[in-house]
Amino acid sequence: MEILMAWRNVWRNPRRTILTILAIAFACLVLIFMLSVQVGTYEVMINASVKTRTGHIQVIKKGYNKDHKIRQVVSDPESIAKILDQTPHVTAHTFRANAFALLSSDLRTCAGLITGVDPERESKISNIVHTMRKGRFLKPSDTNTAVLGALLAKNLKVNVGDEVVALGSAMDGSVAATVLKVAGIFSSGMDDYDRSAIQIPLPHFQEVFYMENAVHEVVVTCDSLWHVSRVKESLAAALHPKPPAEPTGQDADQGLVCLSWDELTPGLIQSIQMDLGGGLIFYAILLVMVAFSIMNTFVMAVFERTRELGTLLAIGAGPGRLSKMLVLESAFLTLWGITLGILAGCVLTFWFQHTGIPLGGAEGMLKQYGIPGLIRPRLTLATALSGPALVFIITTLTALYPALKVRRLTPVDAMRAV
Amino acid sequence: MKKLILIPGLILVLFSTTAFSAQPDAKAIIAQAWDYMRGRTSVSEVRMTVHRADWERTSVIKAWTRGLEDSIFQIISPKKDKGNGTLKIGRDMWTYNPKINRVVKIPPSMMSQSWMGSDFSNNDLSKADTILNDYTHEIVGTTRSDGFTVYEIRSLPKPEAPVVWGMQTLKIREDGILLEQAFYDEDMKAVKIMDTSGIVEMDGRPFPEKWTMRSMDADSKEDYTLLEYRNLKFDVPLADHLFTLNALKKTQR
Amino acid sequence: MNFHMAWRNVWRNPKRTGIILVAIIIGAWTMLAYCALARGVMASSLESALNTLTGHIQIQNPGFREDPAVENRIRNPAPVAALLDHALPKGSCWAFRVQAGGVASNARNSQGITIVGIDPEKEPELSFYGNATAQGRLLEPGDDRGIILGQALLDSFETKIGRKLVLMTQDADRETASRAFKIRGTFRAEMEGTEKQYVFITLAAAQKLLGIGDNVSLACIRLPGRTGQDKAELNPVVEALTRELPRDLTALTWIDLLPLLKGYLGMFDRFMLLWYLVVFIAMAFGLVNTMLMAVLERTREFGLLKALGLTPVRIVKNVLLECLVLLVIGLGAGNLLGVLTIYLFSGGIDMSFMAQGSEFWGLGRLVVPFVTAKDLLSVNAVIMGLGLLVCLYPAVKAAGITPVEAMN
Repeated sequence: MEILMAWRNVWRNPRRTILTILAIAFACLVLIFMLSVQVGTYEVMINASVKTRTGHIQVIKKGYNKDHKIRQVVSDPESIAKILDQTPHVTAHTFRANAFALLSSDLRTCAGLITGVDPERESKISNIVHTMRKGRFLKPSDTNTAVLGALLAKNLKVNVGDEVVALGSAMDGSVAATVLKVAGIFSSGMDDYDRSAIQIPLPHFQEVFYMENAVHEVVVTCDSLWHVSRVKESLAAALHPKPPAEPTGQDADQGLVCLSWDELTPGLIQSIQMDLGGGLIFYAILLVMVAFSIMNTFVMAVFERTRELGTLLAIGAGPGRLSKMLVLESAFLTLWGITLGILAGCVLTFWFQHTGIPLGGAEGMLKQYGIPGLIRPRLTLATALSGPALVFIITTLTALYPALKVRRLTPVDAMRAV
Repeated sequence: MKKLILIPGLILVLFSTTAFSAQPDAKAIIAQAWDYMRGRTSVSEVRMTVHRADWERTSVIKAWTRGLEDSIFQIISPKKDKGNGTLKIGRDMWTYNPKINRVVKIPPSMMSQSWMGSDFSNNDLSKADTILNDYTHEIVGTTRSDGFTVYEIRSLPKPEAPVVWGMQTLKIREDGILLEQAFYDEDMKAVKIMDTSGIVEMDGRPFPEKWTMRSMDADSKEDYTLLEYRNLKFDVPLADHLFTLNALKKTQR
Repeated sequence: MNFHMAWRNVWRNPKRTGIILVAIIIGAWTMLAYCALARGVMASSLESALNTLTGHIQIQNPGFREDPAVENRIRNPAPVAALLDHALPKGSCWAFRVQAGGVASNARNSQGITIVGIDPEKEPELSFYGNATAQGRLLEPGDDRGIILGQALLDSFETKIGRKLVLMTQDADRETASRAFKIRGTFRAEMEGTEKQYVFITLAAAQKLLGIGDNVSLACIRLPGRTGQDKAELNPVVEALTRELPRDLTALTWIDLLPLLKGYLGMFDRFMLLWYLVVFIAMAFGLVNTMLMAVLERTREFGLLKALGLTPVRIVKNVLLECLVLLVIGLGAGNLLGVLTIYLFSGGIDMSFMAQGSEFWGLGRLVVPFVTAKDLLSVNAVIMGLGLLVCLYPAVKAAGITPVEAMN
């Protein structure tokens, strides 16, 4: 009964109703789109960092991410690979080994970070493969071949085909030395990395640095960021099947830990939080604007019907029923608006998710953070619904004001009104 | 019991008779000790053991020195490191690796790194003689050991001298044998301490056989590097071309 | 007369007017506040970049930018000094610097750093060096043994003022050169990275260390006040300098030196306009609705006016005038509120609680919000212009009311 009345009341002034619905829909659309763009950007940022450097998850010796000592190794990586092969949501994994070394060309000498990588498996995980500026990435058949960062190449004054001598300390403390032929030069967009990184095939690394089969990092990528924590948990459980009962055991893999990308690059998550914080200000302002737009409609709707409401009161409708009717009216508007907004927002976001949003002249700046020149919003259930949910709460609260106000109305006053 | 008279070499004899008179001069004691350890030239074979909590590694190194400034080291075992060498001329150092047949000059950024994986840094080698010119010295006490007077010397760096230490303390026996050298930071906390032991006769003079460098860092209490002299000859005539980059590439005998 | 009527009409329903005014006020206020915050962030990024030893213009050896090594130095600085002393706009300042990569070490630690030799008298005006002393004091002229380093570097070396730091580098003859310096003071920089990267010694000390006589790496120039922010302001200076500069040297602006930052700043205006538009649309729904209702509830009145011979154009004018009154009041209060907010935060907003993240974005720690006259103008123009435009709808609606319609 009230529903019908509310419905009819809503359409008594179709122009106002449509405008209000549009206001709500607009707020939803903007929220959905902006949130999706933000999430899309973060995902690209995270993935860039994840793909160049850390992977989603790493299995390392405890403390390796802080000390980077060559002896902090994972001595039996193959057994972890076997576990990973059977872990759901794992898309790829690879081994890496790192060592600081003296790099020297004919003209220059400087310090750098040598990483031994598995060329085949690395190309499934790392985007270094796709950022080759000159030459090519490593091939499985390569031995003493290297790819290095563009800034490092510039420092050493080397080009593709030139030789770089690497001198360092092997795992057993002996001298590790090798002459590397430059096969390619990459530029990941992360200056720090491009200034010091040089990659060589893992078998050659293990030979030069006397690592035998040990590696420093088992790098894992998952099918989605959202599955990282689940994979991490199951991996950690598989690594430490039982609580460490005998801590003095000779188990070589004792002291291994699983770390996820946010633990490996703490600055990244904070910058995302900060940007999200900036976004929240934006959303808050938008919501306040919409709330006022809507409140006006609701207040007016009650106001211009004071007489009518008074009559209803006089013929015995309790104030509770009136409030209920008014809340229902606003609920109609809100639901219509939200539905429309979600639809339009999803269509718009989906469209740009396919075409991408070009960033004009800002590609260079964004490249610095590993973001490509094209941003793709990412529509998820969360981005599609959290904005509208907020709008729903705000509009309902807004509608409550006139709905409660009506309770104080007395028939006499109401009849006297305009 | 070793006596002063046993020390060969005219210079040392002179030192012992003139410098060690009533008022010993700290700087002269150190200069004498450094000369005593190195002679005008020296050829030696040293077993180096690098000890860590979870592993240990031993190699044998042959070393030639000329005066205090120049030296050349070559690894003779283990096999996989054989031929690796370091040449030091003045402040500059080069390293050579036979596998890749390259000589690389060690850049300033690597000077504080460990030398051959030991507790000695490249700087310890490169700046070993700076104690003579970059510090002012003072005898702070004397003790007796094995019937010798042992001078305890405190050396403070001169203000502009490019040394990182806040202080060094040395214990030098009156016959010129260095017993201990400790390196302190500017808070006068010991950072690392080198001591010698097992004084035996080598090339006709008493010489400590074992040299141990210990790091005083809390997380590496067990770490040390032990040098054991297996063979030592002083004042051997050495050709000038021994201290060149070319010589570094050849295995010397 | 018309205005008087509009004014009265606006206040016929004070509650409604009040709500829509609040919407306009909040719209204008938030547009301004957000714009000011964003401008502050931009300015702080630019200032921090210019301050971090970039300056507005640098005179360099052409090879220096690609390869900032000792080889690529200014070998004859005297004519450059003479030129800079007379050719720069009034109020500019400049100084020579020597720059070289090296290693700093003490008994506990050793780390790669950039050695910067500076002119103790002129440098404080040029870069962050002068305005962020954390402990101790700056270098005095002739203090060739002193060194200033970042607080973060000091902490990681576990050392303190008065202690020494040994610098090691490769001199012009590619020999290892090293020397001990006494720590005189520390600086705070907006980025921890900056604090860990640069150590300052006097120009003379750096020249001696590197063995380069009176040669320098570069001359850094700072233009007066807020000038030098865009190409138009920079180009005349660069042209004037290039004309007289020795042939083997080049003058580079911060836009050449930091192209990424330029691109970032370029995005700003476009983004702000988009932001205005979104906020405005949200506001516009309320505005149109209110005006529409105001018009519709006066159907009779408009019919009567029409019957009395008022032309539709006049009616449109009247309604728009009412809108104008609303907008002017709203904008006035909104601007006032906005400016007040900016004034309240003119001490700067400390972003250091986000230090780690803000570093990732290249953002300075203290953001001082501000708006330019252009921003004020565009905020008001957007609300006023678009506001009147959307009010055309209810206005036309009012003009279309026929007397007959109105009587029913």
